[in-house]
Amino acid sequence: MQYFTQLLISGLAIGAIYGLIAMGFAVIYKSTGLVNFAQGEMTMITAYIAWTISTTVSGNVFIVAIGAIIAAVVLGLVIERVVMRPMLGEPVFATVMVTIGLAVILRSSINFIWDAYPHGLDVGFGRTIVRIGTIGVRTGQIAVIVTLLVLLAAIWAFFRYSKVGVAMRAVAADDRTALLMGISATRVHALAWAASSVIAGIGGVFFALSYDLSPAMFQLGLKAFPATILGGLDAVLGSGLGGLLIGITENLAGGYIGSGMKEVAGFVMIIVVLMIRPFGIFGERDIERV
Amino acid sequence: MRTGDFKQTYGELVTLIDSPPIWLWSVVLVAALIVAPHVLNSYALSFLMIILITVVGALGLNILTGYTGLISLGHVGFLVTGAYAYAILVSKYQMHPLIGFLGAGVVPALASLVVGAPSLRLKGLYLAITTLAFSFIINTLILEARWLTNGARGISVQRPEIFGISFDGDAAFTYLCLGFAVLALFATLNIRRSRVGRAFVAIRDNDTAARVMGINLHAYKLFAFVTSAFITGLSGALYGIYLSFVSVEGFPFLLSIEALAILIVGGLGSALGAVLGTILIVLLPEATRMVFSLFSAQMDAMFTTGAQELKSMLYGLVIILFLRFQPRGLVGAWHDIRRMWVNWPLRY
Repeated sequence: MQYFTQLLISGLAIGAIYGLIAMGFAVIYKSTGLVNFAQGEMTMITAYIAWTISTTVSGNVFIVAIGAIIAAVVLGLVIERVVMRPMLGEPVFATVMVTIGLAVILRSSINFIWDAYPHGLDVGFGRTIVRIGTIGVRTGQIAVIVTLLVLLAAIWAFFRYSKVGVAMRAVAADDRTALLMGISATRVHALAWAASSVIAGIGGVFFALSYDLSPAMFQLGLKAFPATILGGLDAVLGSGLGGLLIGITENLAGGYIGSGMKEVAGFVMIIVVLMIRPFGIFGERDIERV
Repeated sequence: MRTGDFKQTYGELVTLIDSPPIWLWSVVLVAALIVAPHVLNSYALSFLMIILITVVGALGLNILTGYTGLISLGHVGFLVTGAYAYAILVSKYQMHPLIGFLGAGVVPALASLVVGAPSLRLKGLYLAITTLAFSFIINTLILEARWLTNGARGISVQRPEIFGISFDGDAAFTYLCLGFAVLALFATLNIRRSRVGRAFVAIRDNDTAARVMGINLHAYKLFAFVTSAFITGLSGALYGIYLSFVSVEGFPFLLSIEALAILIVGGLGSALGAVLGTILIVLLPEATRMVFSLFSAQMDAMFTTGAQELKSMLYGLVIILFLRFQPRGLVGAWHDIRRMWVNWPLRY
C-alpha cells in the first residue's frame, strides 16, 4: 500500500509538470488552431535560462522565478513575431510543419548555447523531503501540484470573466467574426504564445528543480502530448487534469509492469483515447457541415 | 501547327514521359547512374548510396503524406520495422535475402494496418500525433522483445548475395540500391496515374467531396498506409544493410523529420520532388561543412563535434525557409524557371 501511495504521489508530481506543459499546448491550440510541436523545446529553453540566472545573477527563488517568467514571455513573443506571424493564413499543414522545424532548431541550439551535460537547478528550495505519515514528499513536488491547481483556477477565471479571455475564445471560435467585432487576431495570437510559453516554462523550471536539466528535456513535450489529447486539444483545464492522469498512469505502469512500459504508457493511452473519443475527454466534438 | 502544350486524349494526359527531350535526358541520367559506381571514389559513392536508399523511403512517405495528405511523424517506425524484419529473417534465420526483402516490406505493411486502423477516425494533427506515438511504441517493443531482436545490442547484417551475384562491394551494392530506387519510382508514378492515385489526391484535396464522389475513405486511406509502409520498409532494410548493423539507435527520430523535410523541400505530392528533395537534404550538411571549412579550420572542427546537432538545425531551417518562401518546393521553382525560359521576355 505504501509503495502504491508513493507511486501515486510521485505520479501526481510529474503529472502536474505534464499538465502545465499540456496547458501550454492547449492555450495555443485554443486561440490559433495549431499544435505547437516546439512546446517541449520552449519549456526546455526557459528552464535553461532559469538555470543560467541562478548560477550567474542570484540563486534567490524570486529573482529566478521572475527572470524565468520574463524570459518565457520574450521567447514566446519573439517566436510568434518572427516565425509564426508570417505564416498567418497558410494551411495548417504548413504552419504545423514550421513548428516542427522550429522544434528541431531549438532542440539542437541547446548544445551550442549551453552544453550537453546534465545540471541541477539549485535555488535552495524544492529538494528537502517532508514526511507525511510514512511517506516522504519533496517540497518541490508539493509546490508543483499546488501551482498547477492555482493556475488551473486562474486560467478558468481568465477565460470565463476577463475581457481578453473572452476575446481569445472569440478568435478561437471564429476569427473572421472576431475581427469584425474589433478584436485584433494577431494580438490575441501573440498573447497566446506568450501565455503558453510562460505556463509551460513554469513546468520546465519545476522539472529542473525536482530532477535535472539536460538536452533530453524536450521529451517532456512528447510526454505532455498524451495529456493534451486526453483532456482535449481545445480544453485548457482538461489538459491540466489530463497531465495528472498521465503522470499517475505512467508511474503505476512503470512500478507494476516494467520500466519500458513507463516510457510508452502515455503513448498507448493516446491511441486508446483517440480510438474511443477522438476529441479528448473534455474536448468539443468537431462537427463538420458540408 | 502545334503551339504550346496541350493534350487531346486522356491517355496523353497520364503518360509518364510526354516529350522527346525528357526521354533523351532520362536515358542520359540512367546511363550516368550505371557508369557512376565505376567512376566515383568511395567517398562520393557512399553519398550516392545514401541518396538512393533515402529516395526509396521518401517516395514511400510521399504516397502517404504527399498524395493522400495524411501527415506521418512516425515514418522512422516503418523504417526500423523493415530493417529489423530483414535482419531477423536473413541474419538470424538464414533465409534467402529476397525473402528478407519481402518480409521487410510485408511486416511494416502489417504494422501500418495496426496504426492505420485507429487513425482512420482522425484527421490532420491527431494523425500526426498517433503516428508519432506509434514510432515510440515500436522502439520500446523492439527493445523489450530481446528473444527476437537482441534488444539494445542489435543485429549485424551482411551484404546479401542474390542468385549467385554478390552485392558485397560498394559498386555492386549501389546497383542494388539503384534497382530498388527505380522500382519504387515507377511504382509511385504508376500509382499516381492510376484510379487509386487519383482517389488519394481527391482525399487529400477535400475528403468530404471525395466521399461524396463515392470514394471509400477507409479503404483508400488504409491502402495508402500499407503501400507507404511497404516501400518505406524496403528502404529501412537497405539502410540496415548499408550500416551493416541494425539497432534502435541507428534509426533516430530525426529520420522522421528528415523525411518530411525532403518532401517539403522537394515539393509535396510529386515523385520528382521527392527525388530532388532527397538530393538536396542528403548533400546539404556536407555542402555546408565544405563552405564553412573554407573560412576556418575551427568551424570545421565544430562540424565534426556537433555534427548531429548541426544537421538537425539545418533541417529545421530548411523546412521553415522553404515553407515561408517557396512552399511549392524545388519542383515549383523548376516549373517557374521552365516557364520563364519558354516565355521570356513575356510573362505569359
